[in-house]
Amino acid sequence: MEFTIRAATLEDCKDISRMILELAEYEKVSDQVKIAQRDLEQDGFSKNPFFHGIIAEVPEHLKSKEGHSKVGYSLYFYTYSSWKGRAVYMEDLYVMPEFRGKGIGKALMSKVSQLGLAAGCTQLNFTVLDWNKSSLDFYLKQGCWDVTSDLGYHCMRCEGDALEHLAQGGL
Amino acid sequence: MANFNLRKAEPKDVPDILRLIKELAKYEEMEDQVILTEKDLLEDGFGDHPFYHCVVADVPAEQQRSLTGYSVIGFAMYYFTYDPWIGKLLYLEDFYVMKEYRGFGIGSEILKTLSDTAVTNRCSSMHFIVAESNKASIDFYKRRGASDLSLQEGWRLFRIDKENLLKMSAEE
Repeated sequence: MEFTIRAATLEDCKDISRMILELAEYEKVSDQVKIAQRDLEQDGFSKNPFFHGIIAEVPEHLKSKEGHSKVGYSLYFYTYSSWKGRAVYMEDLYVMPEFRGKGIGKALMSKVSQLGLAAGCTQLNFTVLDWNKSSLDFYLKQGCWDVTSDLGYHCMRCEGDALEHLAQGGL
Repeated sequence: MANFNLRKAEPKDVPDILRLIKELAKYEEMEDQVILTEKDLLEDGFGDHPFYHCVVADVPAEQQRSLTGYSVIGFAMYYFTYDPWIGKLLYLEDFYVMKEYRGFGIGSEILKTLSDTAVTNRCSSMHFIVAESNKASIDFYKRRGASDLSLQEGWRLFRIDKENLLKMSAEE
């Protein structure tokens, strides 16, 4: 299948927002999405962006049933490992269902790797849900390894009331 | 009770930051994994586009001599990340207080400062990872309202190292 991979622009935020919701639905948690198109525009395309995006686009004649030509995306940002230094974190990777199995996901991930390496990163990190078998298999085939399984690291979060409480010095 | 001061790290703190990074890695039994150098830390934390931010805890001269010989005795390394569902987050990469200075509330104060930074920067959450074998730290965080996303929601952290990154980036 013919497709192009390119850096996301401000104009892509509408489609990125659409696909974020589609991915959240796939992960069965769409009610948790609080970010709108406007937030993405502000947070990703101002002077100090909090994330970067890449888009997979197909030509007009291969558009989706609903008329979308932007059919996949990845959101990533730079992080830091106190052991190894610069790293890249792939926050989202998504391809619309009717465009899967054509190498688009792999191409998106390849682009993130290229950009990460160019920025001096030595590792790419991301999280996957343990029930997402097809994604787990895809990633393991690309040479990834499961840090949670192998090293026993758990992802933790402090949010909402707990975060406010902590900020006020409470225990 | 130790008198201590929390402040933003400066370039001159880099040797101490690396020392504490290695001490924390040793505590996690991963000391041989640290390949970062002072040069990396300086370039990556104090250039035009820092990859990380650091706060350090230091103690006055009289105290340092009697206990460890160091004045910088604790630190936290963090950076900002993004969740497309909820927006900005603060990610806590490293957080450590030297053994001799634990139990004085220094860790709690560091965490308070970071939480404050998160709230001021309109972050909706603070994220970090902990080794499941590190019971003391897990309890410390759970007491402060942290939840274990790996257990509760099934999130697993995956990684691709440089060798496979190069292979993947070369694929057409």
